[in-house]
Amino acid sequence: MSAQTAATVGLTRPALDLAAAPWRRVSVWTVGGVVAAAIVLPLLLVRLDIGTYLMTLLILFFVQAVVAQSWNLIMGYGGIYSFAQVALFAVGGWTSGVLVHSLGWNPFLAILVSPLVAVVAALGIGLPTLRLRGVYVVLLTLAFHELARVFAVTGPRFISGGGYGLVTVQTFQFGNAIGDQRTIYLYYLAGLIFAIATFVIWRVIHSPLGVAMTALRDSETYAVSRGINQFRVRLVLFAISAFFTGLAGGYSTHYNGGISTTIFDFPRIIDLLAMIVIGGWGTFGGPILGAGLVIGLDQYLVALGDYQTLILGLALAGIAVFAPQGLWPLLRATYEKYLAAEPLPPAVEVSPAAPHDTTDEL
Amino acid sequence: MSTQFVQALWGGILFGSVYGLMALGLTLVWGAVRLLNLAHGAIFVVGSYVAYWVVSSLNLPILVALPIGVLAAAAFAYLMHLIFIRPVIGKPGFDNSTLIATVGVSIAVSAAAILIFNPEYKVIPPVIGGNFTVSEVQITKQGLLVIGTSLALFGLVYLFLTYTRLGMAIRAVSQQQEAASLMAIPVVRTYGMVIAISGALAGLAGVLLSPFFFLNPNSGFNPMIQALIVTIFGGLGSVRGALVAGFVLGIFESFIEVYYGVAWAQPGVFLLIILMLILRPNGLFGIGEVRRL
Repeated sequence: MSAQTAATVGLTRPALDLAAAPWRRVSVWTVGGVVAAAIVLPLLLVRLDIGTYLMTLLILFFVQAVVAQSWNLIMGYGGIYSFAQVALFAVGGWTSGVLVHSLGWNPFLAILVSPLVAVVAALGIGLPTLRLRGVYVVLLTLAFHELARVFAVTGPRFISGGGYGLVTVQTFQFGNAIGDQRTIYLYYLAGLIFAIATFVIWRVIHSPLGVAMTALRDSETYAVSRGINQFRVRLVLFAISAFFTGLAGGYSTHYNGGISTTIFDFPRIIDLLAMIVIGGWGTFGGPILGAGLVIGLDQYLVALGDYQTLILGLALAGIAVFAPQGLWPLLRATYEKYLAAEPLPPAVEVSPAAPHDTTDEL
Repeated sequence: MSTQFVQALWGGILFGSVYGLMALGLTLVWGAVRLLNLAHGAIFVVGSYVAYWVVSSLNLPILVALPIGVLAAAAFAYLMHLIFIRPVIGKPGFDNSTLIATVGVSIAVSAAAILIFNPEYKVIPPVIGGNFTVSEVQITKQGLLVIGTSLALFGLVYLFLTYTRLGMAIRAVSQQQEAASLMAIPVVRTYGMVIAISGALAGLAGVLLSPFFFLNPNSGFNPMIQALIVTIFGGLGSVRGALVAGFVLGIFESFIEVYYGVAWAQPGVFLLIILMLILRPNGLFGIGEVRRL
């Protein structure tokens, strides 16, 4: 490019503007279409024999995808190796469960409190740990997970329920709706939570805060020297992530009618991790895609029993090493090639293939 | 000395030496390769199951099974290095990839252990049986062996790192990887050696420890978490730190267990480590980011 054209491009600045505000490129029609389809879907599904089953799968998908997205926000984008996500989910679940079970609150009111308590818990873990390097965060969040498990099993009776967790919590009641009608309402509620979480996380990723966190992840030294307060950015992200995780936890308690201490079992963490890694670590759509894939495949692979865990473990390790970007970039490339009218702006999401450790740069 | 005191001290020294042994492997790998090996517990399990298999299926004495288990653990660790660690060495995203890969390996190992054996608890016979009592506390000879082995290994690893060529190569790589490779030290091969040595240490801990805890597919998880705590408490990458911190934490935990009850042991240890991180973020013997090992 000659100097003259470069100067002209510099004057008209559309490319720069779009790169800074990529959400403007999302067509209202696409989003509207997806939302409309999601609203109409249950009305069609109830006419099918397996419709209720598919709806419960979708509800499971919504809940898991919210947690996976929140985790990806801090782990994939923020570079915080936190393993406390399941514990925060449990904090949300228990908060709302105890409020309803012991204090007799309305479930709809109680699930509004769970995210707040989860945020408080997250700040409790975040304040001592987030100033530290990655390894320490891994250890201390694992420790928090373990402590939460021990407390849930051996704590006071209104929390531990004698070691099994809360087993008879009141579920969501929508007037007199029962059967399929109730499942439809539950679907809408889960969908609403999923939509809000997805929208907020999307906005966070493309906000100045999101740019700051990506910068911190990709080149810590440079970002800090540009005046980004690493600790504050991480703490805010951690709180946002905990908020939605806690909300999903509260929903899940009143959806299942209880929360069991088996929630702390290691396979839960692995499933969530698999969603993020398979879908695409540090990409916006990755965890959503991954949640869909893992939940969908689970229905077929469940017959394999322990072979499933074996395959999952090896797949996780293999993808992490040989295809660290996951499946999302592949999907995105296909979309750009065949469906997008104009080439999309360069992705803000920078996967682990981008330069990372810059200790040698300065 | 009261019975309680002796009991707490004995338990503390025993578990402290085991934590130290596990932490030694972790800290070596972290110091040299900068790899947080979350599959360390899985390697522990591999060593124990191989020893169990040799004893129960081949009917060989435990003294034969011990070295076989240790070698198997080392071989497994080296295999993991070849498949999952070596391809990403020096590439961006090394932290992410290896963290997830080691988690994946550890799930795969515990699933494989369930499939090959079964989820039931297994018992490995102690290398030496028998016990005697001090102030009504049973002191097992196996326990003394564990403590002795652990101390001896710390000594050996120290001598190995200080005086042998490979040991010096490992220290060089951990201090300045580029300078080391300019001195014609095969960096990647050194990484493999460190990981294999660390695997052997984990396997040894597994075989020696299984008579105390029963062996099951997930029995490596808790020792690994304890070893992580010890490693961080002593200072990441510091061999001396792992030794001292292993005993300090082991004795601390044991005294809380005996005097305040088992439920307080873990919260107590976590409180101690958080306090430590606030007061000395680099751990007891941590030397910052510049010099390690």
